[in-house]
Amino acid sequence: MEATSMQQKSFLYPPGGIMIWILITLEIITFGAAMIALGVSSRENPELFHISRLKLNTLMGTVNTVFLLTSGYFMAVAVQHVKQHMAPEAAKNILFALLGGLLFVVVKGFEYYAKIEHGYTIGYNTFFTFYWLLTLFHLIHVLVGMGILTGLYFSVRKGITETRQENTETGAAFWHMCDLIWLFLFPVLYLIF
Amino acid sequence: MKKRLNITLTWLIILTVTTAIISGFENFRLAPYLILILAAVKFNLVAFEFMELRSAHAFWKFLVIFYSLVFVGIYTIILSS
Repeated sequence: MEATSMQQKSFLYPPGGIMIWILITLEIITFGAAMIALGVSSRENPELFHISRLKLNTLMGTVNTVFLLTSGYFMAVAVQHVKQHMAPEAAKNILFALLGGLLFVVVKGFEYYAKIEHGYTIGYNTFFTFYWLLTLFHLIHVLVGMGILTGLYFSVRKGITETRQENTETGAAFWHMCDLIWLFLFPVLYLIF
Repeated sequence: MKKRLNITLTWLIILTVTTAIISGFENFRLAPYLILILAAVKFNLVAFEFMELRSAHAFWKFLVIFYSLVFVGIYTIILSS
């Protein structure tokens, strides 16, 4: 445990490993640049962005944020259980994390359906072009994350090994990255314009 | 440890609901800035508590804090222009 803690203090060993943190850094920079482009575009026609923002369902966005955060919480608990070699508890918490992700996808599905039904598709205006590109790209990350969590669930159920512990920490870091991206995506799309 | 995670989740949910409520105040001119600051707080809470960044090397802590500050800073400039 102490060795792990000492290792994590090293630049080369952030929680989950350096490769996942390189990926996280690149992803948040990419999404950040796209969100800044959204902000810059909004200055050309602030009224359009305000009216378009009001067409989004803030309640659904808020509920989805809570689902993702709660899912992230369960994943963080799962990592703690894995470190303590408590395989059944870890597997149970990964399953809860997966459920949170599933609920996010279901709510997003309802939201997309409503937008398409009202004609607010990707070509409707600049705001909705950003809305669809950013949320769909984020959704792809969530779906990939859910695939990773599914794999971790079946792996951890068999018992905890050093490799499985590392895999869980790396998978959890990817899952939390989806939270990190959404935490800025939610306010810039649903709240501030 | 679990207690710490419970407290973090509670704060994250409180801050999320708070930002959603603030966005409804049409005449509150500082609302967008406040929402972005609260989003940055949530961003750091997830990184430091859920991702255990507080036990990581200072470089990674700096990276996350720096990113959130730069993002909020750029958005503040954009919204003020």
